[in-house]
Amino acid sequence: MAGHLQFENVGMCFRMHREKVNTLKEAVLGRFRHLKAVDEFWALRGVTFEVQPGESVGIIGHNGSGKSTLLKIAAGILRASEGRTSVEGRISPMIELAAGFDPELTGRDNVFLNGVLMGHTRREMAAKFDRIVDFAELREFIDMPVKNYSSGMYARLGFAIAADVEPEIMIIDEVLSVGDERFQRKCQERIQAIKRTGCTIFFVSHALNTVAQLCERVLVMDHGSLVFDGAPEPAIARYRELLGLGPSATAIG
Amino acid sequence: MIALARRFVDLYRFRELIVLLVGRDLKVRYKRSVLGMFWTLLNPLLQMAVYTLVFSTIMKVGVPQFPVFLLAGLLPWTLISVSGIGASVSLINNQGLIRKVAVPQAVYPLAVVASKLVDLVLSLIPLVLLALLLGRPPGPPWVFVPVALVLATAFSAGLALIFSTLTVFFRDMTHLIDILFQVWFYLTPVLYPVSYLDKLPYPWVKSLLLLNPAAYIVQCFQAPIYEGRFPGARIIAVAALSAATSLLVGFLVFLRGEERHIHHF
Repeated sequence: MAGHLQFENVGMCFRMHREKVNTLKEAVLGRFRHLKAVDEFWALRGVTFEVQPGESVGIIGHNGSGKSTLLKIAAGILRASEGRTSVEGRISPMIELAAGFDPELTGRDNVFLNGVLMGHTRREMAAKFDRIVDFAELREFIDMPVKNYSSGMYARLGFAIAADVEPEIMIIDEVLSVGDERFQRKCQERIQAIKRTGCTIFFVSHALNTVAQLCERVLVMDHGSLVFDGAPEPAIARYRELLGLGPSATAIG
Repeated sequence: MIALARRFVDLYRFRELIVLLVGRDLKVRYKRSVLGMFWTLLNPLLQMAVYTLVFSTIMKVGVPQFPVFLLAGLLPWTLISVSGIGASVSLINNQGLIRKVAVPQAVYPLAVVASKLVDLVLSLIPLVLLALLLGRPPGPPWVFVPVALVLATAFSAGLALIFSTLTVFFRDMTHLIDILFQVWFYLTPVLYPVSYLDKLPYPWVKSLLLLNPAAYIVQCFQAPIYEGRFPGARIIAVAALSAATSLLVGFLVFLRGEERHIHHF
């Protein structure tokens, strides 16, 4: 069923070469070296969960806890070293909004480039173009290179594109923390609207309040393991406990 | 086999991305340059002028209408070499995208080839003008030029795929590729007609030089453009076989490495 996603005992191992073999000479000489310095680092291990279509799932965890790795596997950027993953339906192939922006190109060109990176045709993007620009409120700046955009404008355009490309599984990252309060509210309304269409949503953030507002379920990651999977309040409590903080109500990040 | 077919379908789905990446390349390349696209046309013409001065005027190679002959071979050669050199760093240059967006990575080297193909097609305009000017107007054999373009592009694409993936694993491939193309250029009949090889004192040297697949690709251009005739069946056959082999091997090598690229940036 479209929007269904399953991870079964998924692990991702990075081989960290202490001295990376990047040149031919090293590769040839390396043949004669018996002990090559390779550290294995498991960025993710034994992660099992299942997401039903239409669920909105928050993912929280400290930096380096495996959030990005998990999303990269889901989006198809990385292939898991072990375990089984199944993703049914179109998942947004980007783990960050605006990941495909080219700073030298104008906002207009970037709308098309990002849309096509997400698997749309140029014709489809032309049909969406006006709606995207209006939502981002960038009409007068759309023919300016995005390197001249403020970080807020950048994020607005990134979100506006992602919100209009209709994936069946959507990945939303930190972007909401960048825009001003009014735009953040607008984004949240849009996300609620997308939720109502039955789209599965992954929301990654350090803004715990927003996570609690948008998600009915939260995964807590810690050092590559999934340590909690459940309702937002206990999840946030668990996360704060892991950080060694008290159960105070203020958001972190 | 099915897995391989699926990856081709995936790649086909992203053909529009190649178009946009070419557009991005052209826009970024010609930004803030006064002459803009004219550089594309000027570059081969300047090369042509220098080579003509050296080889036709100073060294007297003795090929009538040397500029037309030279461009007919130089343009496809440039497609092959510039694609190979440009594509070799294409994955490294796009690592930001590769780390964050899941699209078939072959689009990046293929976009380089497509962009150079645009350059080649544009360069045909001054070539036609020059041919008219020097009294070798385009005739019916020119209908073979599109076929030759397909062969040259396929051949270049295969090399581009191989070089792009190898460079991710071995960074010094870029130097090796530079040297390879310098040597390869002189071994390919671009500055001299292939018939000059008959005059070689040792026939085995000729046989050896004719193992060069690029020699057949450039002849597919030189025959209709310079000699005003269709290339021989054997030349077309060898060129087509080389192009198909290059493309197939290129894809197989590339797909084998694709998943591991991300661990080597």
